[in-house]
Amino acid sequence: MKFRKEVNAEPQADSSREMRELAEAMSLYRSAMQHVAQKHAAAAWVSPERLAAESRKHARAHRMRLILVPALGAGLAAAVIAPVALHVHHEKAAIAVVAQPAPAQIVASVDDTELMNQIDSDLTQDVPDALAPLDDLSQQGSTNQSTENTNAHQK
Amino acid sequence: MEEIAGNELTIEKRDQAVLELADFDEVVRVYRPRILRFLLSSLTDRDAAETLTQECFLKAWNARAQFRGDSSLATWLTRIAVNLMRDHLRSRSLRFWHKTRGDSLDVMDISDWIPDGRSSPEDIALARQRVAELWKAVDDLSAHQRSVFVLRFVEEMELDQIAETLKMNLSTVKSHLYRALAVLRDRMGGKQ
Repeated sequence: MKFRKEVNAEPQADSSREMRELAEAMSLYRSAMQHVAQKHAAAAWVSPERLAAESRKHARAHRMRLILVPALGAGLAAAVIAPVALHVHHEKAAIAVVAQPAPAQIVASVDDTELMNQIDSDLTQDVPDALAPLDDLSQQGSTNQSTENTNAHQK
Repeated sequence: MEEIAGNELTIEKRDQAVLELADFDEVVRVYRPRILRFLLSSLTDRDAAETLTQECFLKAWNARAQFRGDSSLATWLTRIAVNLMRDHLRSRSLRFWHKTRGDSLDVMDISDWIPDGRSSPEDIALARQRVAELWKAVDDLSAHQRSVFVLRFVEEMELDQIAETLKMNLSTVKSHLYRALAVLRDRMGGKQ
């Protein structure tokens, strides 16, 4: 019985020694951490008040950027697109002006035959003054001829 | 009668905490080393700990109007720090750096630290070695285990305070602490 107790006591002693050492290590660890934290706590520090003000300023600037960037973009786009659009419009108008005679020419070329016919008929209709008596004569001749024809029919 | 006295005491505590917050410079002076210590022990990353400490006090400053004194100022600030740390640990970039960094012992410079009650160079060297071993073992704990361990053994908080700070059940806190100690005991014992 005594032997049994001695056998059980050994692991217990080991365990308590382990626990004691762990506790000591943890105490040293705490002390070391306190030392490190104290040392670093003295490092550069910005007061939260100042930091909050800076943060607000930064947030405001960010908000402004969010508003201004699209507005500037739109302005820039308008500044670039409007002249370009105007230029394109003017160019189109100029092309239209230059291109206008073309349909006229086409019309003219289409009406050529009509014009020729018109000129031809004018030429045939407009008898020069010098030939006017002949025209009367031919009219007279034709009248006479028609009268004769009527008479022949009556006969 | 006792209940009324208890309520009065709670109200008095609340008022005291709210009053304490009014002098924010003093709050920073008192609690900054504590928050930094907690973050440094939990993250084992000095830069991240310093940045998050700064951010913690900025958040506290911005939210100071919402503080009603339901918990102590220390618990409130630690809870902010815990939330910041969780967000930070969730970020992929940090996980990458944490993984890449490997051994983080060089982060904690204790070369100028002299432990109490030790004067011989051998004793000091031995103490530093013990701390370095524990630091490495703590770094291997899970995030929850580490937080509970640090709050209990570095910040010396009570278990119910830890449960309040981490928003965990008391039994969960105990379970994390038990597992953390088992891991540390195993690591520290195995090294001998």
